[in-house]
Formats: sequence, structure tokens, C-alpha cells
Amino acid sequence: MVKKKQKQKIVLPPALPPEISEDEIEVSDEDLQFVNENRDYAGFVSRLDTDTITRHVSRVADLEGDDLEAAYEKRLGRKSQQKQEEEVRLQVDPVDALPVKTLDGKLYYRTLSNTSEKSENGRDADDEKDDSGADKGIVRLTKAERRAKLKKSKKEAKKQGKELGKTEEVQETPQAAVLAKVKEDLTAEEVFENKKLKLAELGIALLADPESNIKTLKEMLQFCKDDHAIVKLALLSLLAVFKDIIPGYRIRLPTEKELEMKVSKDVKKLRYHESTLLSAYKVYLQKLMVLEKRSKYQHVAVRCICTLLEAAPHFNFCENLLGAVVENIGSSDDVIRKLCCATIKSLFTSEGKHGGQATVEAVRLIADHVKAHDCQLHPDSVEVLLSLSFDEDLGKAEEEDKENKFRNKKSKKRKNNEEPSQLQENDRKKSRKELLTKMREEVAADYKAAAFTTDVKEQKRMQSETLSAVFETYFRILKHTMLSTTDSPEANDNLVANATGAHPLLAPCLNGLGKFSHLIDLDYIGDLMNYLKKLAGGDTNSNSSSERSSKYLTVSERLQCCIVAFKVMKSNLDALNVDLQGFFVLLYNLILEYRPGRDQGEVLAEALKIMLCEDRQHDMQKAAAFVKRLATFSLCFGSAESMAALVTLKYLLQKNVKCRNLLENDAGGGSVSGFVAKYQPYASDPNLSGALASVLWELNLLCKHYHPAVSTMASSISSMSTSHNQVYLSSISPQQAFTDLSLERELLNPKYDIRKSNSKRKKGSSKMTGGIDSSLDTSSADEDELKKKLSDHFVLLRDFKENGRLRSELERTTLALQLYDEYKKQKKKMSKNDRK
Amino acid sequence: MRPLDETETDAVFRKLHSFTGHNLKNIVENPSHEGPEPNPGRYCFRLHKNKVYYVSESLVKRATNISRKNLASLGTCIGKFTHGGSFHLTIQALNLLAANAKHKVWLKPTSEMSFLYGNHVLKGGLGRITDSISKNDGVVVFSMSDVPLGFGSAARSTQDCRKLDPNGIVVHHQADIGEYLRMEDEL
Repeated sequence: MVKKKQKQKIVLPPALPPEISEDEIEVSDEDLQFVNENRDYAGFVSRLDTDTITRHVSRVADLEGDDLEAAYEKRLGRKSQQKQEEEVRLQVDPVDALPVKTLDGKLYYRTLSNTSEKSENGRDADDEKDDSGADKGIVRLTKAERRAKLKKSKKEAKKQGKELGKTEEVQETPQAAVLAKVKEDLTAEEVFENKKLKLAELGIALLADPESNIKTLKEMLQFCKDDHAIVKLALLSLLAVFKDIIPGYRIRLPTEKELEMKVSKDVKKLRYHESTLLSAYKVYLQKLMVLEKRSKYQHVAVRCICTLLEAAPHFNFCENLLGAVVENIGSSDDVIRKLCCATIKSLFTSEGKHGGQATVEAVRLIADHVKAHDCQLHPDSVEVLLSLSFDEDLGKAEEEDKENKFRNKKSKKRKNNEEPSQLQENDRKKSRKELLTKMREEVAADYKAAAFTTDVKEQKRMQSETLSAVFETYFRILKHTMLSTTDSPEANDNLVANATGAHPLLAPCLNGLGKFSHLIDLDYIGDLMNYLKKLAGGDTNSNSSSERSSKYLTVSERLQCCIVAFKVMKSNLDALNVDLQGFFVLLYNLILEYRPGRDQGEVLAEALKIMLCEDRQHDMQKAAAFVKRLATFSLCFGSAESMAALVTLKYLLQKNVKCRNLLENDAGGGSVSGFVAKYQPYASDPNLSGALASVLWELNLLCKHYHPAVSTMASSISSMSTSHNQVYLSSISPQQAFTDLSLERELLNPKYDIRKSNSKRKKGSSKMTGGIDSSLDTSSADEDELKKKLSDHFVLLRDFKENGRLRSELERTTLALQLYDEYKKQKKKMSKNDRK
Repeated sequence: MRPLDETETDAVFRKLHSFTGHNLKNIVENPSHEGPEPNPGRYCFRLHKNKVYYVSESLVKRATNISRKNLASLGTCIGKFTHGGSFHLTIQALNLLAANAKHKVWLKPTSEMSFLYGNHVLKGGLGRITDSISKNDGVVVFSMSDVPLGFGSAARSTQDCRKLDPNGIVVHHQADIGEYLRMEDEL
């Protein structure tokens, strides 16, 4: 390592040499000759800074006691300044450049002092001295000087590198180049450190006292033009500063009129502060927008934008920020997308910060975004709309006002009828009353203007705008899906290939519709239902081509359409109790189309729950048809689906007493069979299936199911009697049943205990779902363990085999040996016998 | 007794279609297990004294043996032709219609009696209504326990019904099972 700084030891001044007059010094001729030949060696003498040395010595030599101490203290102060000066000077370590030994026996170390730049350094040092003269405690350089100094140090480092190179050439050591580079790196590192420190300093100063140090914002902005790492740091530190500095109100720059007016000092200060803040902020934002395009800085820039938006959604330029965030909502980069979605969600939930205006903006921008991309976006972008919340009480307050107004009008009318008899007296009263009302109105208006709570009307307007934008998006997505599914049948193959990816936005759109269904205007509900029916493929009057194309929506999606339709209907029950015949037919057919690997069982379970298990009076034929079909369904698939179906079955049988005839062994249905005499298993309409004439023989088979839960459930169902009042109410919903028995849980809980799981279920489904989620997350870890265990197991098996084989060989050889021994014995005996 | 001619068939089917929609084919192609033949025959429509009857073919064959003035009725009467030539469905068609109805309305228990006396169905008495009913469709009226009570024509679509006030008419009464008692002589 090259030592750059001299050791800061306070070296006592050397003892003065004894005074010898010049005459007495005898210089020998040989010495003279040597010196003349090698002027270089002694050249240093001429370069000695005799002034400083004498000063150094004399200053201290003459002083004594306290003065000495004072002198040393002063020297300390100057040392800290001269530190920077002396950085410039390099002292080459003895290791690198060997010292020279003169004939006198003295060692001369090479020193490099840049005489050319000494003057500049001198100037710098002077400046620094001036500053430090004013403030001795902390050496506070102004930014420009510090920068200049840094630049110079860089330059010097380079120069020194070159010079070193030159000198090294003379000495012919090859380490020089490497050394130079190392020095450069070190200087660069040091520079980096310095910059970081500087940033931190500025930041802290700003936070401590924003009003007076607002100028330093500009300096921090300067950092944004440097190299990669510094820019990132600068952006992030500016972000932290702005988050804290930004005031709680929108800054409005003073107009020209106001500028001309004479204002007090405080107001001037405030205006200056605001204007600098705003201009700095603007520059910062512009920088962010530019950097966002470049891939290197994208993450940092996006993070800055998001945090700014979250922290200060009310401030100026929030529209630009919002625009940038919404642009990135559909980006393919996961990190960026998640950041933006989280920001927008927090924006929606924290309406108090910005009074709703930002929500409206954001939703409008999202709607335009969806429109521009023609509904081909990542589902996250529409999912954020789910976190919107609408205040339903706004309308009620207005209605109350209206009522009051009516009452007032009525009372006024009555008063007016009474009044004509007493005109004169009432004149004065009237005028007084008018004055009073006028006053009240004025006061109310002033109060409204000053109050922070938003006007109810304003809120209503914003909400209706938001709602209209949200529903516009949803309906656009629905329409797009519809259009793409009813496309020309010639494009069959393409559509099949794109089936799964063609409607990425459909799922969150349906979820959103389900959530906000109670806010849809009655006019649109009919239209919406038609759309949903068409999407789910239920238009029976359509010709075969559209039927084929409607199958390009997956079964899960179609089920979800049905679910949403039911949710919408339920939330509008006060209007009319509508029986969604078409959707029941669809569900009836979709149950047949379900395939466990391809489709999501949870969606099916939810559909069963919502459509069948709710408290509704069902048509007997329809209920019976579903019962029969569910029983058949539960025979075909795994235990999870069976359980879900059986739970629904039990529920239906409990609710509809007549359907219990299916449990009787009465083929043909007897008296309760209704109009259709024979069961048609393939009928597409549940009402015409004639299921009341069938028998549930499937339950007998299910009683012998391999899964204990399924078999107990089946046997309990078959033991249900046809009497009217049955008291058992099952607390399990089909969804819970499905998730209980789904394969994932089975893998983790090999020992299934019904009692345990029942108690667990009663505790609450949230824990269960949490458990399932966590278990699903750890399933990947389990795979590795599983692999390891399996490999161990197989290794063990192989060892066993090896052992067995070796043992058998061993036995064979021992047997052979035994045989040989016996043979030998026999031979001996034989030979003995022969001899005898 | 004779089979229906073109215009008459047209009128009958049009009326039936407004109630059943595409389930009409179930009515027409219903296999009938009556009679000694092993193959199930079909049901058909026959006109006798201005009344239209829905009867199986095997029965028709046997009925041809009875003379015109002695024949009182055969199969199920579903409606009659007026002097002006228009066709009206009577209450005896209820079973056939209820089995194949597309548009249904369920009445609350409190308003069942009102309907059975011949009044129209008001929105306040409506328990449930199927979706996708359009104006002037044929609607079959049920009680909450799925007993068919009669039929009528829709005064307005389901969508409009949502916004209706509780005293608006939803279904115009055409026939109800109370007529078996009230108009015993006319049937």
C-alpha cells in the first residue's frame, strides 16, 4: 500500500547543529569532485524549503512554556488544513523507490512535490484557511470548492500516476502501472466515500432545518448527474428528504400581482422557501422521468416515484407521478409491477390524504390504459380496482336533506296561507327573517370554504365518476371477451391456442363485478345478465358455430360467470327475487364438463355453494335433478370433489323434503314423480330430467369408498328418513369440504382423523386456509426432502440387494470349500482303504 | 272429430309456443304408452265441436268408433276456438303447460287466493319470477310449493318489473284452477 499521508506525529524540531563557521568546514577535493559529477544526488539541498524549516525551528525554539503549548495548538489547527494540502504530496515509500546513499553515508529519500500545482494548492489552502479562520470547529467547504478540490485530486492522482510512471521508468520497476491503477481506484473509492458523506451531510442539514437550508437541495440535485452508483444514492437520499419536507398543502406560486405587493419578511421567506422547493422538486421529477426509461435505473426510479406518490398524493405534479405509475402497472417486470400495484392500492385506501381526487384520476387513467391496450394486460392491473371502497351513506344524507326541504316547503306553504291576513306586522318580521336567513347562508358558505371536510356533493360527484370509470372498464373487458369468443369459426385453431391467454383480465373483472354488484344501476343489470349468460355459453338459440366458440372459455371461467350472476342477483334482492333459470341449466351442464386436472375444483365448489346451498325454494324437479347428477358426479372423481358434491347433496335433501323419495327404492317415482315418467340422464334441462323418478343407488357404492370421510357421509345420507323435521344442520360448506380433502392437504396429513378435523373446522376456516397456504408454499421444500428421502431409500434397497447377492456367493463358496474338504477326506479314506 | 288444418294448427302452436318456447317439441313428440301396441305412439291434436283435444294416437283410433254426437270428450281438452276463429287455451291445459313451461312465476301464500278468484298478479304478491321474461309472453303461475295455479300473459318484462311499484300488474290473468269451481258448467 502506498502511504500517501505523512504520519501526523508532532515531531520535535531537530536539535540545531552546532554552530560551525563556514570557514572551518573543510571540503576535500575528492568530495568536491564527487559532488560536481553527481549533481543530482545533492540537488535536494537546493530544493530544500529553508524558510519553512527555519520558521519551524525558530518558532518553537524561541518560545517557552505556555507559548510553546499555544504554538503547538496552532500547529494542530493548521495541520488539519494542510492535510488536504499534503494529500497532494506523495511520499514514495522506501519499498518502491530505493533510497540513494551518498558517499557521505546519508540516505536520501525521493520526494515528489508538485511545484507546478503548488501555487494552485496554495490558493486552495488559502481559501480553506480563510474559511477555517471563520469557523475552526468543522471545516465546512462550500460545495463548489469541494468539488473543485475533488476534481483536482482526481487529476492529481492521474498526473501522479503519469509522473510516477516517468520516475519509475528511470528506475525500471514494472510495478508502477499497477500501482497507478490501484492509486486511481483508491482515489475513486475515497471520492465515492466523500460523496456519500457529503450527501448524508446535506440531507441531515435539510431535515434539521428545512427553511434555511433549502438551497442545499440544488446541491444534492447536482449529484444526480454523476456515475451510476452515486446517481442511485442521490435519488434515494433526495427521496427521503422530500418525503419529510413536502408540506401538507399544494403550493401555489404567487401571481404577478401578489409579487408586486409589499409583503412582510415572513411571507417573503415562506414564498422563497416554497418556490425553491417547488423548482427543486420539479427538476427532481424530470430527472426521475428521464431515468425511468433507462433500464439501469428503472427499479430505483420506479421505487422513488411510488414512494413519493404514497407519501404526498396531494402535492403538485401528482398527476404526472400518477401517470408514470399507471403506465407501469402492466409492466412485465414483477418487481416494478408489484410496487406500482401496492402504491395504487394504498392510494385507494387512504382517501383522507388527498380527498378523493387522486382516486378519480387513478381510476380514469387505468380505464384509459385498459382501453389503449385492448384488454391484454396483466391481471394485477385490474385487481387493484378491488381495493376501492365506496361510501354508500352519501346518498342517504342527501335524501334526508331533500326530505327536510320538502318539509320546509310544506311548512312555508302553510305559513304563506296564513299570512295574508296579517300583512303589516309580518313585513318587519319578514325582513328580519330574510336578513337572518341571509346571514346564515353567508356564514354557512364561509364555513364550507374554510372547513377541510369535503362537501357531500363534491364527494358524491367524485364517487359517481369513479364508479362510472370502474364499470366502464369492466364492461369493456366483458365485451372484449365476448367479441373474441364469437369470432369467426375459421380461426378455430388460433383461438384454441390462445384460449388461456386470451382473457387474462376476465377473472379480476368478474371478481370486481361481484364485489361492486350492489352499486350497479338497475338499468344495466339486465344487460349484464345477458352478457354473462352469453359468456357462459347459455344461449340456446345460437347456432352451432357460436356454441363451439363459446367453449373456448374454460369451465372455470364459465362457472365464475354463473357465480357472479348469482351474486349480482342476490345483492339486488330488494328489487325483485329473480330465479335465474338459464344459469341453473348452465350449471347443470357444466358439472358434466368438469375435469379435475384441468379445471379448478374450488370454483366448482363455490358455484355449488352459491347456487344450490343458499336458502331458496327450489323447484322439486330441478332440485332432484341436481341431486341425481351430483351423486353420479361424486362417483367419478377423487375424494375432494366427491366430498363437495356429497355435502351439497345432503343440504339439498334436507331442504327439499320431497326429494327424499330418491332415497326410497321406488323406481318410477310413485306418486311424486311429477310429469316426466322416466329419468333422462342426458337431458340438458334439469326441469325435464324426470329425476324424481330415479333412485340414488350411487350412495350404496359410495358407502364403500376408500376414504373414510366420504363413506361415512354417504351412509349418513342414505339413512336420512322421509319424515319432515330433520334437525341436523351441517356446518360444512362444499368449499370447505373440497379444500379439506384436496390432494395438497392429503399429502401433508397422511393420518386422517375425522374428529380432529371437525374441531379444526369449527375453529375457523381462516386458520385453515392460512395453513394450506403455508403448506403449499413449503411444498417445494418438501419436494427436496422427498427427493432426498427417496434417494436414501433406494440406496438402502440397493445395498440390501448387494448384501444378498454377496451372501449367496459366500455361501456358495463355503459350500464349495466344504465339498472340497469332504472330497479330500474321502480320497484319503479311499487311499487308506486301497493301501489296506 | 277431425285433425286440425293449417290455420288452426298454426294458431294452436303459436299459443303453446308463447308458454313453452322450444319445449314445444316435447309436447308434440311425447311418446305415449297407452294402448296395446308395443311401440309407443305419439300424441296428436284433434278438433271436436270447436274444442281442441290433446290425445294419443291409439286412443284416437278407438274413438273413431264413436259417433259424433255421442262423443263427449277424448284425451285432454286444451282449448277452444271462438266464433271469431281465435284460439283460447283453457284451464285444462295447465298440466301440459306446467310441465314444459319456460316462464314461471311463484306467488306468495298471501296472494294465492286473490289469483284463484280471477284477479291479476300484482308485484307485491310476487314471490319469485324467472329471468328473461319479455312482454306478452305466456307465464305459468305456481304457488311457493310448486303447485301450478294457472297461467296468464306477462304485462311487462322482468327488467321492468324490478322498477315497478308494488301495486303494478305483473301478469294478466287468463286461467286458474279456481275456475273448476266457479265455472263448472262452462268447462
